[in-house]
Amino acid sequence: MTTATTPAPLDQTSREVSTPLTSRIVEALGGTYRSIPVLVTLAVIWLFFYSQNPAYLSFANITNLSLQIVTTAILALGVVFVLLVGEIDLSSAVLSGVCATVVANLFVNHGLPLTLAIAVGIAVGLVVVFIEAQVIIFGVPSLIVTLGGMVILQGLLLVVLPPEFTVSVGGTDYAKIVNTHLPTGVSFAVAFVGWAVYCYSRVRRQRERRGSTSSSLVVTSVVIPAVVSGIVIFGLVAVLSHGLGLPLPVLILTVMLLAASYATTQTRYGAHLYAVGGNREAAQRAGIPVSRMIIYSFLILGLCAAVAGMVDASRLLAVSNSSGSGPLMLNAIAAAVVGGTSLFGGRGSVWAALLGALVIGSINNGVQLLGLSTEVQSFATGGVLILAVAIDVVITRGSLRPNRR
Amino acid sequence: MPANPDDASGSDRNQDAGVRERLLELRHVSKYFGGVRALHEVDLVLNRGEVVALVGDNGAGKTTLVKVISGVEHPDSGEIAVRGETVRLDSPRTAAANGIHTVYQDLSLCDNLDAVLNLFLGQEIAGSRWRGRPLNRHRMEVEAQRVLDSLSVKIRSLSTPVGGLSGGQRQGVAICRALVSDPRLVLLDEPTAALGVSQRAEVLDLIGRLREQNRGVLVISHDLKDVQQVADRVVVMRLGAKVAEFTRGNYTSSELVAAMTGAHEAADA
Repeated sequence: MTTATTPAPLDQTSREVSTPLTSRIVEALGGTYRSIPVLVTLAVIWLFFYSQNPAYLSFANITNLSLQIVTTAILALGVVFVLLVGEIDLSSAVLSGVCATVVANLFVNHGLPLTLAIAVGIAVGLVVVFIEAQVIIFGVPSLIVTLGGMVILQGLLLVVLPPEFTVSVGGTDYAKIVNTHLPTGVSFAVAFVGWAVYCYSRVRRQRERRGSTSSSLVVTSVVIPAVVSGIVIFGLVAVLSHGLGLPLPVLILTVMLLAASYATTQTRYGAHLYAVGGNREAAQRAGIPVSRMIIYSFLILGLCAAVAGMVDASRLLAVSNSSGSGPLMLNAIAAAVVGGTSLFGGRGSVWAALLGALVIGSINNGVQLLGLSTEVQSFATGGVLILAVAIDVVITRGSLRPNRR
Repeated sequence: MPANPDDASGSDRNQDAGVRERLLELRHVSKYFGGVRALHEVDLVLNRGEVVALVGDNGAGKTTLVKVISGVEHPDSGEIAVRGETVRLDSPRTAAANGIHTVYQDLSLCDNLDAVLNLFLGQEIAGSRWRGRPLNRHRMEVEAQRVLDSLSVKIRSLSTPVGGLSGGQRQGVAICRALVSDPRLVLLDEPTAALGVSQRAEVLDLIGRLREQNRGVLVISHDLKDVQQVADRVVVMRLGAKVAEFTRGNYTSSELVAAMTGAHEAADA
């Protein structure tokens, strides 16, 4: 026992000095700087398309791009929550179609008020995912439950559609969801309120820490974050509200992302969410209600699916038997993963949904703008997805070299 | 029964009593899995400020006994008393409420979370419900630092995920987690298994500091060298029953091995 203290610190320092640079970079990318590879990818994509066609980064196209990615990003946000607890979902895209159809049917064909119809649509989404979550907790793998759920929901979509298999929402209030624009003045006011709240929280945290060992300089912990966030927030608002004003779907996505970010990084719920994804058994032993956390994640997915479906239907001016089909589900999962969410659970942030959707949306937008064929789009999206998972594998493993088998 | 052990390391704290507080007492505890006798009429006493080691060969019933004390398994017969009062330890939470905290062999750490969140896992310091129970990160960090310092556990940074720490540091975090709820009794399941030489010394040091903090410690171990170094009392189990008990200094390695393998029964008979 007496020899314990002396060798331990020596051993520790020598180990840290000898850590090679590559593995230190890998470790850093796994933590705070996880989104840097994605941002670099995004910058490369934007620069490439901009060099091919300067119209790519025009105000009109950026607003267009933001509207194109909203559906994918909202759905991907729900998928991130499910991936974080170590589950997967394949059914939410079709579910979004079902929810949108229920709303359209009730509103257009049955004359319910829009708000009530929306409430029913969200309730449908929540009930479906709640049932799925119960079966998953019972012990059926989520891949199978949601695969079966996807097929069942495709059938349900035909049931809730009227006999002509399509409901047009053009010209109604439903279609106005996507076409509503916040006047530039209002958007700046909203942005300012958000920025002020953020700055206030930084100041409060700094005041709390004052005098303790972990206290840092006011400049680094308050002033720099405030200035950087101010430039980003007001810059984005200025770009996106150029012309008609800030599109409502962008505001919806922003509010959902901010709420999700607060919940996952600042609250007890977030700590439990990551714990369940990181080590389910340990979470159980620590008294965290694991089953309830899985149900919460799926309920959030259900809400996201319902909102995504409504935004999409409003953008396409109709719901039909193809609502929520096509590449939406794969794009949402790909967006979550490309953005840096681990498929193995417990790693990734809610911003992954936005970044991933931006990467995939930027490729699609650029390919269409340049008039390239759709094959190119498929090759690029698929390649980026595989590359992103490869990066995730390297980070999870903590080394560039494959494990010896 | 060593109600008043002659070892003096902690008794000066409780001079008035003369006898240390009896934290845990098992009386005739038995447990069967089907027809298999996992525990048979086991008696065990644990006092405050004392390190008791539980040794035995594979299948001797050590793990079952730990599970009974930590509330994972329920005994088929016999009773458990915590500080003189008979209790039913239905779940790990009840055990924790009775001041018993278990550090499992696999450490039960979430590798993706940092040291602070791991220390407070399931018992985070959080704010009001209407703000969504925000974590009070600052208070948790201060408290985490205090607990880590109290056992001299040194880690690079409180905010690195514990997956990147060394085996000894991870064991340190796991033991410190037990201390966040300030338990009277800490159960350690194979704390030195799979550790290197210096890390093992670190952990044995930690156990000594737990005793200095006047807690009861029950260590399950395979390693007789560790046991002899750290334990005030050694309880030997064999085939589900307690076969021998030694106090510090009153035994030799060969006596211990003989008790574990059953050689001494043959000698007695």
